[in-house]
Amino acid sequence: MPSPHLIAAPDLSRYTRRSFLQRTGAGFGSLALAAMLADLGLLTPSIARASAASINPLFPKPGPLPAKAKSVIWLFMNGGQSQVDTWDHKPGLTRHDGQKLDGFDSKTGFFPEQVGPLMKSPFEFSRHGHSSTWVSEIFPGMIRHVDDLAFIHSCFTQTNNHSPALFQVNTGMSRMGYPCVGSWVTYGLGTLNQNLPAFVVMYDTLGRGLPKGHASNWASGFLPGVYQGTALNPSGSPIDNLQRPADVTDAGQRAQLGLIKRLNQHYQQQHAHDAELAARIESFELAYRMQMAAPEALDVASEPAHIQELYGLHEKRCGHFAKQCLMARRLVERGVRFVQLYSGGMENERSWDGHIDIAGNHRQFAGETDQPISALLTDLKQRGLMDDTLVICAGEFGRLPLTQKSAKPGRDHNPHAFTTWLWGGGTKGGTHCGETDEIGHKAIVNKVSINDLHATILALLGIDHEKLTYFYNGRNFRLTDVAGNVVNQVIA
Amino acid sequence: MLRWFVGMLGVVLVGGVVGSVRAEEGLALFTDRVRPVLLDQCVKCHGGEKIKGELDMTTREGLLHPGENGPAIVPGKSADSRLVKLIRHAEEPFMPEKRDKLSDATIADIAKWIDLGAPYDKPLISKPGVARGHAVVTAEDKNYWAFAPLKSTKIPAVKDKTWGHNPIDRFILAACEAKGIHPNAGTDQRRLIRRAYLDLIGLPPTPLNVDVFLGDDLPTAYEALIDRLLANPHFGERQARHWLDVARFGESHGYEQDYDRPHAYPYRDFVIRAINDDLPFDTFVKWQLAGDEIAAKNRQALAATGFLGAGTHATQITANQAEKERYDELDDMANTTAVAFLGLTVGCARCHDHKFDPIPSKDYYRLISTFTSTVRATIVYDNQRGVLPQPTTKPGGVYPTTRPGATYMMICSEGIPAMRLHTQGPDFYPQTYFCKRGDVNQKDGEVSAGFLTVLESAPEDRWHATPPEGSELAYRRTALANWITDAKQGAGQLLARVIVNRIWQHHFGRGLVATPNDFGVQGDKPSHPDLLDYLASELIRNGWRLKPIHKLIMTSAAYMQSGDYDEARAAVDPDNVLCWRRPPMRLEAEVIRDSMLSVSGMLDERMLGPGTLDEAMPRRSIYFFVKRSHIIPSMLLFDAPNSLTSMGTRATTTVAPQALAMLNNSAVRTWAKALAKRVADKGGSEGITEAYRLALAREPDADELSEMSSFLADQTVAHDGNAELAWADVCQAVLSLNEFLYVE
Repeated sequence: MPSPHLIAAPDLSRYTRRSFLQRTGAGFGSLALAAMLADLGLLTPSIARASAASINPLFPKPGPLPAKAKSVIWLFMNGGQSQVDTWDHKPGLTRHDGQKLDGFDSKTGFFPEQVGPLMKSPFEFSRHGHSSTWVSEIFPGMIRHVDDLAFIHSCFTQTNNHSPALFQVNTGMSRMGYPCVGSWVTYGLGTLNQNLPAFVVMYDTLGRGLPKGHASNWASGFLPGVYQGTALNPSGSPIDNLQRPADVTDAGQRAQLGLIKRLNQHYQQQHAHDAELAARIESFELAYRMQMAAPEALDVASEPAHIQELYGLHEKRCGHFAKQCLMARRLVERGVRFVQLYSGGMENERSWDGHIDIAGNHRQFAGETDQPISALLTDLKQRGLMDDTLVICAGEFGRLPLTQKSAKPGRDHNPHAFTTWLWGGGTKGGTHCGETDEIGHKAIVNKVSINDLHATILALLGIDHEKLTYFYNGRNFRLTDVAGNVVNQVIA
Repeated sequence: MLRWFVGMLGVVLVGGVVGSVRAEEGLALFTDRVRPVLLDQCVKCHGGEKIKGELDMTTREGLLHPGENGPAIVPGKSADSRLVKLIRHAEEPFMPEKRDKLSDATIADIAKWIDLGAPYDKPLISKPGVARGHAVVTAEDKNYWAFAPLKSTKIPAVKDKTWGHNPIDRFILAACEAKGIHPNAGTDQRRLIRRAYLDLIGLPPTPLNVDVFLGDDLPTAYEALIDRLLANPHFGERQARHWLDVARFGESHGYEQDYDRPHAYPYRDFVIRAINDDLPFDTFVKWQLAGDEIAAKNRQALAATGFLGAGTHATQITANQAEKERYDELDDMANTTAVAFLGLTVGCARCHDHKFDPIPSKDYYRLISTFTSTVRATIVYDNQRGVLPQPTTKPGGVYPTTRPGATYMMICSEGIPAMRLHTQGPDFYPQTYFCKRGDVNQKDGEVSAGFLTVLESAPEDRWHATPPEGSELAYRRTALANWITDAKQGAGQLLARVIVNRIWQHHFGRGLVATPNDFGVQGDKPSHPDLLDYLASELIRNGWRLKPIHKLIMTSAAYMQSGDYDEARAAVDPDNVLCWRRPPMRLEAEVIRDSMLSVSGMLDERMLGPGTLDEAMPRRSIYFFVKRSHIIPSMLLFDAPNSLTSMGTRATTTVAPQALAMLNNSAVRTWAKALAKRVADKGGSEGITEAYRLALAREPDADELSEMSSFLADQTVAHDGNAELAWADVCQAVLSLNEFLYVE
């Protein structure tokens, strides 16, 4: 059944649950829940048709268009990865090394007073795969995947500062306050495993901070709060309220749940027509199951030794990110819809933000990520999860091909060009879409905006980006606002 | 260059020769049959009074202009032309909008004319078309229900003379009777008092409160209860939270560093005080827009201006982003003003004339221009001497919170040093410009401050105010405040409609207009338009005091009715739009937490002052510090807003993590233990009964008592005889009951 949900623009806050149901119809998952609630004696027949989707907005809804991808893993290279030092090899830049760039707007980056001459990449590049893709020496592990990667070399943002750019890449808008792509996707599709959060975010666990703009990067904006990302706590219990109080035993809690259920059912007899109350009874069962499911899903220690080694779980250099990549695989394997991983903490030397010493900075962060990401792709593929899982690797902008003057040369922010790659989920491996100019400064061929990128991600998940809408304060909002074209070149 | 020119000429010539006969046929079709239709059906909105969707049909160039949705036609290819798809009703929006579909013959004529190249002999209308962004607001626009004057409606007659207490009930009953249904009878006294307490002050009644009420046999007992609750200081704490949602109130800047605004709380306190003091709503509005101008010596009026600056603000602004950031900030001020007070979404008109409402772009820029030089600033207010010279500090630096006899507060004003963060640009720009497509790089002339044309029936100088000699204040905001509260010729009648609707919404769970932040064409129509106008008129007539409106609602039979469900009536009105029952409603995040604190006996009732991020703090939840990057998790979990933009209606979700919090959250466990301490001493049945009385305002029935007693016994054994823990388990179960989380 196609999901009218995506066309009818449901607004949970605007309608009563019942009218919501009537306006949107009931998807498969919701009917299943309604039936289950009826079986449990929690619903009278008159409202057995009540949609669980109208009560639990995270119940799975099929995408309206045929698609392969079911889950997304977004590897966010926080701080701004340098395209010319990673995936956008520019021999032209080498030729012009040391020259001044005429006509350059010194306000392009963040430090107008530190603009230096053009600077070639400090790294060696070599060609690999049938696609003859240029790979930087800092990504030895990724060499084996180049024919599975779909590159977009012509991405750009409209802002040269971290948090507006992060907001733009995550929400489509550089202003604060809009729902992020993970929220839109879970709003559109729900999630496949009710025992786990639908949308999980992991950020730096080495104490280097959160991405600029913090939790707003995975916030649901004006969408209901259930669609916001669940950021795993970097230490202690990864999810709030997952652990029983110390003085409560499992048996004690089971007994308590039984009591709550019986008393709620007793109360329910007076309100047999209120589906929301019935759903809340069921939510306690789900909560109990989540208590066990979440720690199990995040337990990387239960992986066999060869998998742990593959990811580099015990390597000092990359163990922290390896753990997160491995958790990401375990989560999507269990039906989590959207996972976002941030490489690097806040800014400057704590992330890919190589203002000073671009060579040292990028060597370090490539070292933190190359093996884990390479392992993640290998692992997903060997488990047959390549078609189901769309992996995206992007940051918030690129870096200038010029020197930022400092003791060791760095590179400043560049909103005009950066490279994004996609893998699996119905993408077309080995493709290179779009081009930058001779020196990698600006995208010039087949420019791909963030709206275009978002439209493409939604298309890979079976959603028409123009039809995924939410009515808020007087208008239907979209992730892609009033723009966006699907980049068909990267779709198989 | 020459080559290009010759090439173009060639195309034109070839096209001209081949097309001449067809063009002639097309022109004849146009003048005979197409033009009359375009003139009659299309041009009013597309080139006459307005240019909707950026489509100007008065000329062929206009028809070919890409506009917002691409060109309307492809000459020679009617099948590919969007215009044809829309008039055939093959694609939405169906055209002509809100009129009958064109006849098949007419559609065929237009299609053929496009196939023939869509030639025009001359523009459809001789006067120059309306410039984009300057749509004309017509008399018809002003007749739209929300913009029209309040109707002086008679209180309707009803068949059943026995149901109902006050005029509200006559409106409700009449609408029900028209559909052949009847509202419920009153609910029982216990449910009623719990409902009134949770609704008005956000805390459950104590067993003593319940006993006193049940013991009062006077017919005025309920009215007296409502009077007491309206006078209770907790009333302001409960109702202020609703307004803070609308005002997108936050206490940090957001963006890069999300620096704190440690002195934003006086705005929150102003709202609480104003509601408790029943400050007339028009003054409440005026102070928030221009308290610094209107009542510069009044501490509350100064604090009120925090409304304008309560939104986010980029903490790190690069040189080439500075101007756009400033326009974003003006947009935030103007948009929140219009949404909060008038239920209008003017932000849509930033890039083009509003697609649905009669708000031209021009009006949008006039409105944001009001705030051109308005900035956030921190002042010190001395109780004796008034405003003292401003302290300075580094970005993100922290002032002492208080000093003896004086308060630091964030206000919004002009002519004083702005709160300055890391920016490579100025705090504001001296002029505001009309920006085509909302792009600061496409400026098109300076704009001076003004109001929404659709809501004015007098020349604007009526509202203007002259700054006193030597003032650095422009008094543009005072003018805005005058216009927005002018119930005769300004926006005041809509202002009244919007606020009484918000009040209704919070008492019934659904507004008379179900979209409280959108009274425009896209919003819902009022379910009881006459009642809405009656309440708005009452508000204005009573000097804009809100408490009498609350009381009118609280003492209506509509409010006091039971939740009883009925299949037959549900078949007529499944959404309860007619208000024939009172369904159980889940409590909001703050009320859930405050109720748990209250029944555990741990609630610290001290009011006002700086907030905190400490989730374990025992004060009411409105005193959580609203840090945008760290909204208190238990608040978000139960659907509190994230304070980024105005929120008129909260979602009510039911998800497993909420249950997880009830089971495992350490604060919930602490409150359960505290409740246990209050009741355990009474022993088995009496302790359980007391827990029910505290949490649910009733006693358990025999089944419940028996269930609870055996659970207590089992848990005592399971805890190796530790009765304290067993009682904690019992009390946590009580707090987890649906009945505790819902109000009937």
